[in-house]
Amino acid sequence: MAGEPVEPGTLDRRWRLMASAAVGAVVVFGAVVGFLVLPGFQRANAGLDLWTAICRAAGITEGSPAYRQPVSKAKALPVSQVAWNEDVLENLSGANPQQGAQLAGQVCVSCHGENGVSGTPGIPSLSGQSSAAIYKQLHDYRSGARVNDQMTPVAQQLALPQLASTAVFYGRFAREGLGLGGRDLPGEPEIVRLAREGDSSRALPACDSCHVPGAGGPIETPVITGQNLEYLQAQLLAFKHGQRRNDVYRRMRDISGKLSEEEIAALSRYYRGVLF
Amino acid sequence: MASVAVPVPAVDPAEARTGLQTRKLVLSHFWVAFGAFAVACVLGAWQMWARSPLEAPAHTASNYFRSVTLHGVSMAYVLSTFFIMGFGYFVAETALKRPLKWLRMSWIGFWVGIVGVLMAALAVISGRASVLYTFYPPMTATPWFYIGLVLVVVGSWIWCGVMIAEMIGWKRDNPGQPVPLAMYATVANAVMWLWTTVGVAAELLFQVIPASLGLVITVDVGLSRTLFSWTLHAIVYFWLFPAYIAFYTMAPREAGGRLFSDTMGRITFVLFLIYSLPVGMHHLFMDPEHSSGFKFLQMTLTALVSVPTLLTVFTITASMELAGRMNGGSGLLGWVKALPWKNPMTLATGLAFLMLFFGGGGGLVNMSYGMNAMIHNTSWVTAHFHLIFGGTVVIMYFAIAYAIWPSLTGREFASLARVRLQLWLWFIGMMVMTLPWHYLGLLGQWRRVAAFDYSNPIIASWGPWVIVSLVGGVILLVSAMLLIWNLLPQGLGRRSEQTTYHYAKAAHPPAHVPKALNGFAMWNIIVGLLMLAAYGWPIAQFFADPPPQAVVHHLDRGID
Repeated sequence: MAGEPVEPGTLDRRWRLMASAAVGAVVVFGAVVGFLVLPGFQRANAGLDLWTAICRAAGITEGSPAYRQPVSKAKALPVSQVAWNEDVLENLSGANPQQGAQLAGQVCVSCHGENGVSGTPGIPSLSGQSSAAIYKQLHDYRSGARVNDQMTPVAQQLALPQLASTAVFYGRFAREGLGLGGRDLPGEPEIVRLAREGDSSRALPACDSCHVPGAGGPIETPVITGQNLEYLQAQLLAFKHGQRRNDVYRRMRDISGKLSEEEIAALSRYYRGVLF
Repeated sequence: MASVAVPVPAVDPAEARTGLQTRKLVLSHFWVAFGAFAVACVLGAWQMWARSPLEAPAHTASNYFRSVTLHGVSMAYVLSTFFIMGFGYFVAETALKRPLKWLRMSWIGFWVGIVGVLMAALAVISGRASVLYTFYPPMTATPWFYIGLVLVVVGSWIWCGVMIAEMIGWKRDNPGQPVPLAMYATVANAVMWLWTTVGVAAELLFQVIPASLGLVITVDVGLSRTLFSWTLHAIVYFWLFPAYIAFYTMAPREAGGRLFSDTMGRITFVLFLIYSLPVGMHHLFMDPEHSSGFKFLQMTLTALVSVPTLLTVFTITASMELAGRMNGGSGLLGWVKALPWKNPMTLATGLAFLMLFFGGGGGLVNMSYGMNAMIHNTSWVTAHFHLIFGGTVVIMYFAIAYAIWPSLTGREFASLARVRLQLWLWFIGMMVMTLPWHYLGLLGQWRRVAAFDYSNPIIASWGPWVIVSLVGGVILLVSAMLLIWNLLPQGLGRRSEQTTYHYAKAAHPPAHVPKALNGFAMWNIIVGLLMLAAYGWPIAQFFADPPPQAVVHHLDRGID
């Protein structure tokens, strides 16, 4: 389009200049107020010098929300030591399930049953559980965050990679047994309501929002549909009475504390369900 | 079979009648758009029912989120994208007054989009993609959902290429001539859309799709929210453009008058191009990953979006006054009465402006750094975008369809009264639904939840207001069904004389315009600089000092 005689070039040049100047002026205004004037006003309240306040507004100095916050040095009470960081997740995704199968065959099977389906009241089924859920509990036994006469010595003899491979075996490759998950769940209406909708008058969330297959809860949450009755009931009571304390943020201690013992028994019956 | 040879018509009879080469192309796009729209309206009404104290059928949390996802995807990506593409092809042929050079390419774009829509829709219906229509990891859907939506965007990129190529071709053949305003605006939208999709494309390709496929196990959610905000506001203007094109280039003539100023139109569309992009951070005012300075800067730029809006209100009101006075209206407001309110486009423009008044006011609250805190993540926001997009914009989509339908189908509407009834129902339904919805947002009603427990005394008083919104939703559903009825052959009547569409002439038609208002080269440079100022460091910070990442949550398969 060069060399067109139709448009006087001066008109274009003036247009370009005016438009660019107008846009530029707005940017400068926004930047001056946002990065200089407002920090100037905020600095007194925050007890900062002007330069620090400006750097905070630009997101390049500590204290600004945009900058990584200092990590707390406070020591928390030792409960669960599991943190779902990239290393742990990579250990889990890279674990060797064959090794896990071997360990399971030598150690776990005697109590937790063939393919992780337990026939013994009080001992949980493992098949159908996520690897993250099993890893979390094994790790807690190992660190002492959860205590059990049988499980504590077993877990303490295993190294972390062995925990991971056992967890992966049960999480991914022992599903044929389907100990958990596919069940009919009949129950009294108020128990069904508690399980599916929770009870807002007691600030109780629905059990189903975390504990059924595919729910969107924290990744370590176990599946409880089809779990054996005695085990579920014993765990809820242990949480309620403070004997079990490896739940992050006290979630299950708070929830169980608000449930009556009758509700605990009925919920355990409900989640055991009927194998169809 | 017949022994007498019947001459086969060389062209489709309807095409011969209307003479439009893009007839089939435009109608295909519009029917995909309105088909998705009709389905989404049914879901929308059910969702309002589910949110109300009345017992809705099949109301479970998983059904609710599946429905919201399908509703959002259909309305925000299918209705809008296909409508805009179809309308763009129509404008390219009728405003430039010559056949498309890239017709085959346009059909390729259409089919790529269709494949994408089907992939995404099946993913949502199967329950493996109930992640809503926003891309906020660490929650991820099945990869099919994202790949499907990427294909829809690729289809729209093809459209952008065709629009730009058609304009450049026309300019080459008509040196020094001003590009017709309707086409200039359409290409402004195409250029803006190319800029807009960069953010979400980067988020999908480098973060969400790898996460969804399981190639990575953690994701930087601060970065993904930032990249999505890049797209999130400009996409709204992408949807809005056709409404403004109708305001400037269709409504004045339909009302029997002329456009008050062609230059004002060009400036408006250019301002939309440059000020809808570097402003997305106003969606992140309450987010911790950005500093106050950048939030303020982007708020300032957002405020400027009100300039083209006010320019438009002024120019279109002035154009309507011209029309009213040409129709014989006199006195201070006599011209308003003299406007042809029986004309669907005139009526829709009036109703759209009323909704723009409320919706625009609500938008000013959203974009204000301080006031935003009051309504952030409440129902106010959902009500706002329903009023602006579902109201102002979509009612103009209807009006555009009504205006160009005779030239596409070769037939007039059987009943203009039924067309007007549909527009009125849409307006009334939208007001009845969204005004109480805004109010509930002010009371603190949260969004993105599947149900409310109205037995809780703290929120019990919300119940009746949601029922009012539900009534509005049902009116909208009736209006949507009426739209389909009007557009189907059953709703059409006698043959139309229209063979093409004539756009509004300006009161002073431009003989020549400055180069800056006849192309986009300079504005692209300005957009680039603005984006660098507004988003440069806010994105670079994630690479300069990588923050802790979040664990990807696979909605479709749980966690192994």
